[in-house]
Parts: sequence; C-alpha cells; structure tokens
Amino acid sequence: MTQKLLPKKLKLNYSKNVFDIIQFGSSLYKENPKDIDIAVIYEKIPIKQQLEESQEIKKQLEKITRKPIHIKSFDLYSLLNISNFAREGILHDGKSLISNSAFTLKFGLQPKTYIYYSLKNLEKKEKIKFNYLLSGKGGSYGLLKKYGGKLLRPGLIEINPNNEEIFSNSIKKFKISFKIEKIFLEI
Amino acid sequence: MNKDNQYERNNETKEITKNVILEKSGIEYFQSGEDELKKERYNSALVLYFKSLISFTDLYILQKTGNSPSSHKKRFKITKNNFPEIYNLIDKDFPFYQDSYEQIMSKELVEVIKDDAETIAKKAKIKL
Repeated sequence: MTQKLLPKKLKLNYSKNVFDIIQFGSSLYKENPKDIDIAVIYEKIPIKQQLEESQEIKKQLEKITRKPIHIKSFDLYSLLNISNFAREGILHDGKSLISNSAFTLKFGLQPKTYIYYSLKNLEKKEKIKFNYLLSGKGGSYGLLKKYGGKLLRPGLIEINPNNEEIFSNSIKKFKISFKIEKIFLEI
Repeated sequence: MNKDNQYERNNETKEITKNVILEKSGIEYFQSGEDELKKERYNSALVLYFKSLISFTDLYILQKTGNSPSSHKKRFKITKNNFPEIYNLIDKDFPFYQDSYEQIMSKELVEVIKDDAETIAKKAKIKL
C-alpha cells in the first residue's frame, strides 16, 4: 500500500531546521488514495521560512509520485495546538519519511490500535470462521500474522494503526459489536 | 469598420475592462485585508490577502498572455507551465486559504500571505 506510493528509502534533501517529515492520512492505508498528506515539522523558525522549505520538499516528492502532494508545515507548538485538526492523525498514524517508522517512536511511544470485540451473539460455526479470519486455517495466514497483529486475550487484538481499516472491514462482515481504541505503548 | 477590426476592438475593450476589474478588486481585497489585520481578525485577513494575491496573479497573466484563467485549476496549470515563481507562491499559500474556515490563523502567517500579495502586485505593476 504505502510502499507503492512512496519508496521505502527516500532520499530527500532538507535543512537542519527540519525535525521530521511525516506521511499521514488516507495514503497510509488506502490502495488508491486521491492524494498524499505530508506534514513537515520544523524547529522554531519563521513561518515564511517553513513554507519555503516545505515547497522544496514538495517538489522533490512530486518527482517521485504522480499523486498530488498536500504539504503542511508545523513547529512542535503548532503541531500540538488544539486548532490543528490533523493533530491526532499525525501523532497516532503518522509515519516518518526520515526514519521510515512511526513518528512518535522519536518520543519513545509506539502507536497501536486496540480492537475490542464480542462473539457472544455468534453461532459456533461463525465463531470458528472468525477465528480462522484472525489466525488462519491450514497453510493460509490469518489477518494477525499477515498484518502483524496480536491476540492479547479473547475479545481484544492489538494491531498497527495503518491496518485499522483492513481489520475493521473484515470484522464488520460478521455483524458483531466492536470498539476501536487508539493507544500508545511506552518503549 | 470591417468585421475583423470590430472583433479586435471588442477583444481589446474586453481585455481593458478585465484589467480594470482585476486591479480594482485586487486593491480592494488588499485594503480590506489591512483593515481586518488591524482588527486582529486573522482568518478574514488571510482570506482577503489571498484573494488579492489571486486577482494580481490573474492580472499579471492577462498582461503577459492576453487571457486570464477562469478557475483555480487553470490558474495553477498556466502558472506552473509559464510563471513557476508565481506558481510556487500560490501553491504554497493556497492550502491556508482552503483551511481558513477550520483553522485558527496566526498573525505571522497572515503577514506571509500579505507579503506574497505585495510581491505579485509589484510584478503586475500595481501600486498598493
């Protein structure tokens, strides 16, 4: 998915004012997103300079992909400001294009998504099918192995944030109740 | 007057009219932006400065090509192909205009957009 839009190892030129360059939004989990959202986080420098440097980064990314690039510039204060509607998406789901890993790992936090579900209204046959969906059957992989998730206990799985849509779409087919919680684990 | 001359004359008048409209609206937006900035209404100021920037961009395009774009899409295409330094400015500032209804804009950012509007006004030989 993501890897098809932007290569894993990007060679971007940027100044020492750049704290991180983050991909966020639908391009992280959709097969064919309309565009790619990028947030550039700066050390404390004037906004004019932030915008000019972001334009240079945007130009480099436009040479790599044909998808439109939507670039936003922040410093750490404006990133965390309540008026930044993209804040949660950047913090929880954002992937650093510099380290090629979750952005918040920089702060010692591993983002994860918990999915709580209940099978109590399912018939036995359906419960078995659900188990196959998560853990696989015979030689075929289940969603957990395929996408790096973990069954923490019956009724609770832990997955990577970018796979939330895959898991929730599959679970929805069983018409069971489930709840999603975005969390950070200390590393 | 033959038909060809009449056609050219009409086009010329149309161009002059559009010139006047773009200059007038650009200056008006800019001055309204100034008013809003003084009142510390930064979101309104940003929208007005950006509109001013677009009017001056269209005026510059009209001066250089004889035509002016009718949509943001065409404006981006024309400037990207012919006036990259202007494209760079409007492409950089456009997201803030789009986000202005859902984000709190800062004074510093408004001053950046104001500065860009002044840059394009200068290119279009408009005195603010």
